[in-house]
Amino acid sequence: MHYANTYLSKPVVGDLDESYSEDQKGTTKVLHCMLNTGSDIYQGACKKRGSTLKEEYKNASGTCYMDPRDMVELGVKNWDTVLVKTDYGEVVVNAAKSRDAPHKGTVFICKGPWANTIVSHETYCCSDPTYKGIQCTVEKTDRKVLLMADLMRLVYKKYVDETDDEVIENMESLGERPVYRGRKWEELDEL
Amino acid sequence: MSYEPPITDYDEIVENCTCAFCGCNCDDLDYLVKDGHVVAVRHACRLGASKIMEDLDQRLVVPMIRGDDGELEEVDWDTALDKAAEYIANSVRPVFYGWSETSTECMKEGLDLGQYIGAVLDNQATICHGPSLQAVQNAGYPIQTLGEVKNRADMIVYSGSNAMNSHPRHMARYSVFPRGYFRQRGRFDRTVVTMDPKFSDTAKMSDKWIGFEQNGDYGFYNAIRAVIKGKKLTQEVISGIPREDIYELVDEMKHAEFGVLFFGLGLTHTLSKQRNIDIAIKMVMDLNKESKWGLTPMRGHFNVNGFNIFMAFETGFAFGVDFCRGYARYMLGETNTIDLLVRKEPDVFLVIAADPGAHFPNGANQHLAHIPVIQIDIHWGPSTELADVVLPGSFIGVECAGTSYRMDGVPIYMKKAIDKPETCRDDEWIVREIKERVMKLREEPNVAPKYIPNPAAE
Amino acid sequence: MEYILKNGIVYDPANEVNGEKKDVYFKDGKIVEDVSSAAKVIDVTDKIVMPAGVDTHAHIAGPKLVLGRLYRPEDSRRGVTQKTKVERGESGFSIPSCPTTGYRYSRMGYGTVCEAAMPPLEAKHTHEEIGIIPNIDVNPLTLFGNNWIVMELAKEGDIDGLAAFISAWLKITKGYGVKIVNPCGSEAWGWGMNVHGYNDSAPYFDVSSKEVVRALAKANEKLGLPHSIHIHPNDLGHPGNTPTTLETLDSLKDIVKSTKKSASVRDQTVHCCHMHFHSYSGTNWRNAGSGAPEVAKFMNHCKYATGDVGQVTFDETTTMTADAPMEYDLYRLSGLKWVNADIECETAAGIIPCIYSKKAPVSALQWGIGMELFLLIDNPWQINLTTDHPNAGPFTRYPRIISWLMSAPKRNQMIESHEIHKWAEKRTMVASIDREYDFYDIATITRAANAKIHGFHDRGNLSVGSNADIAVYDINPNDFDPSKNPDAVERAFSRAKYTIKDGQIMVKDGEIVSTKPSHVIWSNVKGMEEQEKDIIDKVMPFFKQYYSVKWENYKVHDHFLSNPIRVDVE
Repeated sequence: MHYANTYLSKPVVGDLDESYSEDQKGTTKVLHCMLNTGSDIYQGACKKRGSTLKEEYKNASGTCYMDPRDMVELGVKNWDTVLVKTDYGEVVVNAAKSRDAPHKGTVFICKGPWANTIVSHETYCCSDPTYKGIQCTVEKTDRKVLLMADLMRLVYKKYVDETDDEVIENMESLGERPVYRGRKWEELDEL
Repeated sequence: MSYEPPITDYDEIVENCTCAFCGCNCDDLDYLVKDGHVVAVRHACRLGASKIMEDLDQRLVVPMIRGDDGELEEVDWDTALDKAAEYIANSVRPVFYGWSETSTECMKEGLDLGQYIGAVLDNQATICHGPSLQAVQNAGYPIQTLGEVKNRADMIVYSGSNAMNSHPRHMARYSVFPRGYFRQRGRFDRTVVTMDPKFSDTAKMSDKWIGFEQNGDYGFYNAIRAVIKGKKLTQEVISGIPREDIYELVDEMKHAEFGVLFFGLGLTHTLSKQRNIDIAIKMVMDLNKESKWGLTPMRGHFNVNGFNIFMAFETGFAFGVDFCRGYARYMLGETNTIDLLVRKEPDVFLVIAADPGAHFPNGANQHLAHIPVIQIDIHWGPSTELADVVLPGSFIGVECAGTSYRMDGVPIYMKKAIDKPETCRDDEWIVREIKERVMKLREEPNVAPKYIPNPAAE
Repeated sequence: MEYILKNGIVYDPANEVNGEKKDVYFKDGKIVEDVSSAAKVIDVTDKIVMPAGVDTHAHIAGPKLVLGRLYRPEDSRRGVTQKTKVERGESGFSIPSCPTTGYRYSRMGYGTVCEAAMPPLEAKHTHEEIGIIPNIDVNPLTLFGNNWIVMELAKEGDIDGLAAFISAWLKITKGYGVKIVNPCGSEAWGWGMNVHGYNDSAPYFDVSSKEVVRALAKANEKLGLPHSIHIHPNDLGHPGNTPTTLETLDSLKDIVKSTKKSASVRDQTVHCCHMHFHSYSGTNWRNAGSGAPEVAKFMNHCKYATGDVGQVTFDETTTMTADAPMEYDLYRLSGLKWVNADIECETAAGIIPCIYSKKAPVSALQWGIGMELFLLIDNPWQINLTTDHPNAGPFTRYPRIISWLMSAPKRNQMIESHEIHKWAEKRTMVASIDREYDFYDIATITRAANAKIHGFHDRGNLSVGSNADIAVYDINPNDFDPSKNPDAVERAFSRAKYTIKDGQIMVKDGEIVSTKPSHVIWSNVKGMEEQEKDIIDKVMPFFKQYYSVKWENYKVHDHFLSNPIRVDVE
């Protein structure tokens, strides 16, 4: 059967301006920024599509949208990986040029398991955690952005016996399909 | 995404379906149905379309229980429901979280169970517009339905809300573009202002963008209030905005015939939280001395408002209602999910139609790794990675009918268009089944032996 | 199941039974002539037996209520109780939760309550709440007074079209009757304005309040609905509003009551709600006084109008009304947290907490005006006991009001001891009125007249064939002086000895012993299908363009109806 398709592997982002001089590139090792999180249309779409195990979600939610000048300073290009650290944790995400730039000194990560790792759970007695306006650092890294299932395994370790983060991070990927024993939708007649 | 030709191969069109995504609850969707499947959808935005044209790879189709080896395993419904009921019946501090993407009919079953067992019932308001509700309780709530905005408004302000991304049809269907009774030229009859530190997609569509500083919202609204009240500003720049711009803005706001402020999580998630909303509400009240103004919180899920409304008419409190003492208790920052999890109080967590795995901070979710988690949902998501019992529900507004409340409180009966997968069950049925099984396992409900009147109500 | 309610002292004004000792029989939910020897006997020897109470006008379910509960947790906390095996746990004082509302009405011996304002667009919400309220039947009135289509039809003078519109919209909203709130004023509030007086009109709508009200009254009688128009006139709560009230009622004197059978129970062609709010004299709150004597004089000479009082009870309560501009005025006066809720093309609403203090001059004056209306309007069939719950006080204060009405010494003591502010003494004549209600009068203003005004034939009386809705109060009227024992009166009416609803015992000794789902009562006009279709076709282009929901999703689906009782109007 032919279904209308809504899958999109990567959000559309602008090209980086290549006119910066070489001596501006990669001058900063660690960038001190303000972190905002929230929703955007790509993240919202794949979250509700239910494609959270897939590349699509990883790229929509696990991406740090940056001001292009910050990217130049840090020496990263679109879809390079960066390590973002806050007082609450650290996570590896993609870097990409923000559609809302300029906003030098501010980075934006869509809500999702990646952002959750580093946002503040402080509610200051009003029920709502502080998802926006958190101090963070951003640095270039070679580590890979994990798929959702792998990230959940690393961060929460609910069903792995291993405790060493590095080992868990490098375990075999759980992949982009649900991992369970039982019938899949393709096997069910009615579906 | 490459160009896709329109779908022409379908059996029938089901009209006037309601979108089960954001608080806009657009009720004009047409589903193209073939062989009992929705193959395409008309009128929906990118978000709505993507939800309705779901990812079948990750559709939860069978009940599952986490085995000893840590892997989920398909079981029959009885086994899964019994397991869920056993967890709940043996718990002392259960939390039932979610509800914003299911129907009020299902909430009713959940409330019955919660009252019986003494659970905490909470919804996504706790991580989105909870501070707004708190501010409403401090300051008031001048609102209007969205049709009223369409027909009358000549000034629209979005603050801390990126409608183009999170409520894509909001501007087109209700606020900015439609031709209203008194605004026959649609967009041309309205002034649109976006207040946001980011030059968001909504700001790009606006006549005016006010990019106040990060965390500068509170100061900015105070300045507006002062100017509305006829005061002069002594600082030249407030929260990054030159005072002349504030004078000009206030002048426009005062002279609007009917203005509306739509505010989003940009205000509730920053440090000033409920105080931002508080001051924004008071600003709207002040403006009513000059002209007519209202506001509406941009509610995220299609029935997040519905849960608040439902709980208010059932129990008197909107969310975060704790029944552990046999009566309804509500204390912000105490009986709310995030606070409970951070304090490591819950010993069983039932999550229905919500995804804490995707939306709770690490500091709260860590506790879920240590307690049984029961998930009722339609898709495999981050929460499934933390779940011990997984119960596949059905899709409200597509596979199952139910009531929801739009962001402005307008109730909509979301009709059913197709049948659900054979192995799935309606949310309402699942919760009722759990309830009945819990009642068998724990025959004594969490109740007082006798009615004791409350002297304060005499 | 058959029952005999034995040896009670029966007050049944509809059948002119005034304190007779007699048995009441009921079987399968209905009152019957006789029962078999197998009937269960409930001994109520020398206790007061009345039909279950009928509330003429209250706000108990719907969007306004929920906004009140959402933004006033402090009120919800006031009434919290634990869940029991029978009850779900209560909450709230002035705006109790839905289950609480049912329990508390039941405890007072009430069986039917009119929800007085249902906006069509959000009617589903009202019905959803009604479905959750246990133990009482509810007849919701649909709001028509500021509906754009109504205003247009009234302007055109198209009474037939208006009748068809009402008929169609009652079906769509599953409403019982026609409610009018501050006609044209709530529409003017769309622009932050109000209308001033009965002959004013809203901006852009070239039709006056008077024209709208008269047109609706004519259409109502044309249809022969069981209830008359139910009006909340303009200028509520403003000093000097008495002339507006009288002008409104007077303008309807030529409306001919329908001769249809469905309209035969009632006598009136207009019901004016919470009259005390509409009976002020003076020009501002400093020189305000009572317009009650004037209103009472009018009512005493008027055969076609009825009213209810909306008595102030000296509580901290929550005011809520579709008269949104008035609520904004209150906000300007008190500065308390203010809710407004405008509804497209139909109506508006406002909410604000209000503290009626015995020490406050205005509250004392309002109390006195309410009392004057009760005491100066001669015919109890014309005036009902309400507090316009929750506007002037919560409905749980009805027993206290009963105790005031039955005891002149109590009223005088309140005034003379300066328990309440001297404005009650200086600006009203309550202290000089000796009239005391007896139990028969009380039964009239809380049951019999209320049911008659709403056009109910099956409740508010103990006639054979009526619903077995019965209240028993633990007072022996032959051995009791209510004038001297106001506190005992209040106690007895607060906690019914028995409340029986549809033959089921809901309350025993003041406690809920069982619950049952409520019924919703709505009016179904028959034989207007053609005209309804025409009017719907006519308004459809407007609806499609200016409403924010689809027509298919506008109506109240049967799914929302809780055990509907359909009243057919031929």
